[in-house]
Amino acid sequence: MLEATGLMVFYENMLALNNVSIKCEDKQIVGVFGANSAGKSTLMYTISGIMEDIRKKEDMAGGERITVLGQVRFLGRDITDLKPSKRAREGIVLCPERRRIFPECSVMENLRIGAYLATSSQAKDTLEYVFNVYPTLERLQKRVGGFLSGGEQQMLAVGRALMAQPKLLLMDEPLLGLSPRIQAMLVRSTKEIRDEKGISIIVTEQYARPVLPIVDYAFILENGAAVLEGPRDEVLNNPDVRSAYFGVS
Amino acid sequence: MEQRRKERIDRGIKVRTDGLYAVMSWRELSYLTMPRMVLIVGLLILPFVMPSMYWQRVISIVCIYALLAVSFDLLAHFVGLVSLGGALFIGVGGYLSAIMNTSFGFPPLLAIPIATIAGAGICTLLLLPCLPLRGVYFAIVSLMYPLAMRRVIEALDILGGTDGIMGIDSFPNRWIEQYFVILMVLLFLFGVRRLVNLDLGLVLRAVKDNDQAVRASGMSITFYKAVAVFISSAMGCLGGACIVHIYMWSGMSLFALDFSILPIAATVIGGAGTLVGPVLGCLILVPVSELLREFGTLRIVFYSLILVGFIVFRSEGIMVYGQRKYHQIERWVKV
Repeated sequence: MLEATGLMVFYENMLALNNVSIKCEDKQIVGVFGANSAGKSTLMYTISGIMEDIRKKEDMAGGERITVLGQVRFLGRDITDLKPSKRAREGIVLCPERRRIFPECSVMENLRIGAYLATSSQAKDTLEYVFNVYPTLERLQKRVGGFLSGGEQQMLAVGRALMAQPKLLLMDEPLLGLSPRIQAMLVRSTKEIRDEKGISIIVTEQYARPVLPIVDYAFILENGAAVLEGPRDEVLNNPDVRSAYFGVS
Repeated sequence: MEQRRKERIDRGIKVRTDGLYAVMSWRELSYLTMPRMVLIVGLLILPFVMPSMYWQRVISIVCIYALLAVSFDLLAHFVGLVSLGGALFIGVGGYLSAIMNTSFGFPPLLAIPIATIAGAGICTLLLLPCLPLRGVYFAIVSLMYPLAMRRVIEALDILGGTDGIMGIDSFPNRWIEQYFVILMVLLFLFGVRRLVNLDLGLVLRAVKDNDQAVRASGMSITFYKAVAVFISSAMGCLGGACIVHIYMWSGMSLFALDFSILPIAATVIGGAGTLVGPVLGCLILVPVSELLREFGTLRIVFYSLILVGFIVFRSEGIMVYGQRKYHQIERWVKV
């Protein structure tokens, strides 16, 4: 479904992604794991096209020069040069790191903004679906986004991304700063979303243990390079991975 | 497939002169001092090369705008306060110096420093209420004061009312006038450049980046913002005090919004956050606006087009662009 080959991203002269190729098949959950500065967010930005936007802005302001090389193919089409808004229309929707919900809009408004690309009947169905997956949101729909707790905000962010009718959902560190219970709930719901909606999902995380059980295929990034990849069980049983990303020695 | 990208790296001489090693050779010493010397010497000989008294007067006006532009740059890009108060600073400084001169008989070179310090105090007090707030409030309040001042002077007929204060002493001669303003620009320019690298400057930049973190470190952001506003309004008041002695007249047009807007435009053109850039911007914009006078009312149209062009095609500003070209080289490298 999505195939990125030979992605290289330079921030000025610093290499953030070094020849990374990742692949996501239809209805798969792909996990990308790596420490801070491994290049997870850069990878997400490059796939979703936000990098193109950042590059232009930096260029205008005379800041860092960002160079993006490589190719991104989605549903058999080359989308390397597509703007992020066009990519969202194609079905690649990013649920950004640190949630980035609209803090001054209510929960309902946040979701409706997310539904900009959907038809009204799609929006209605998806809204029902989101409230079904995250019943908490239904209870909070009048509350202002900025005053929700971290877990509620994350649910809202995922819900908002779902409203855009994604074919491929990119989740950048969805478990950041959440309690183990909320983490488990979010992971479970992520699997549910994949199973029920048939959406492909790419999820990045620093700590692999909570996410790895639902992942079909996993990539490990280190210093911008994909050092290891394989189906879940293979990665799960790799001794290096166990020590580095599971805290098991 | 061979892929190439353009690489940007610092010049060797920049790296060598970053430390204390600059004195190693004349070449390296001149690499460091040349740009500064070009500005200083250039400004100092400007009055000599100007063809007429009219253009010498333009130089004085350029310098006054330059003071305002540096003050705007300091507030906006080092403290995070977008100030539209250029007109307020000019007006307060100008009227104070005019009153000192006409009512108390102080000579200009004594009235100007007094007006600068006192005016900066008054401006800081006026703006103090909105300093603890973040956001657009400072811009709005600093824009409202000059508008209000004009109407107050007009309605109450104080400070000479609509006629303004006349009979103000001029500088002893035009050379003193020229060199006084030029030296003041250089003094404040290099002073502020120094200031933003001192501890105080660090705190100010921290206030811009994250004022909550500064508060959490046990520092009063209101105090530091007030210090910054005092410094930059002193620059503005100095400009205003000079302008009344140059024109020998002080009137309501001192509160004109030109004094608020042009420095911002100059900062955009010159390069925000560089401090030198705004001065260069004024050196370009003020003479251009004088040259465009021939076009009458179309002046504003051309003027706006130049500004829009700059923002669209080179929004980083001349100075940022120039610094990059001076310090760095670009080359294609294989990936």
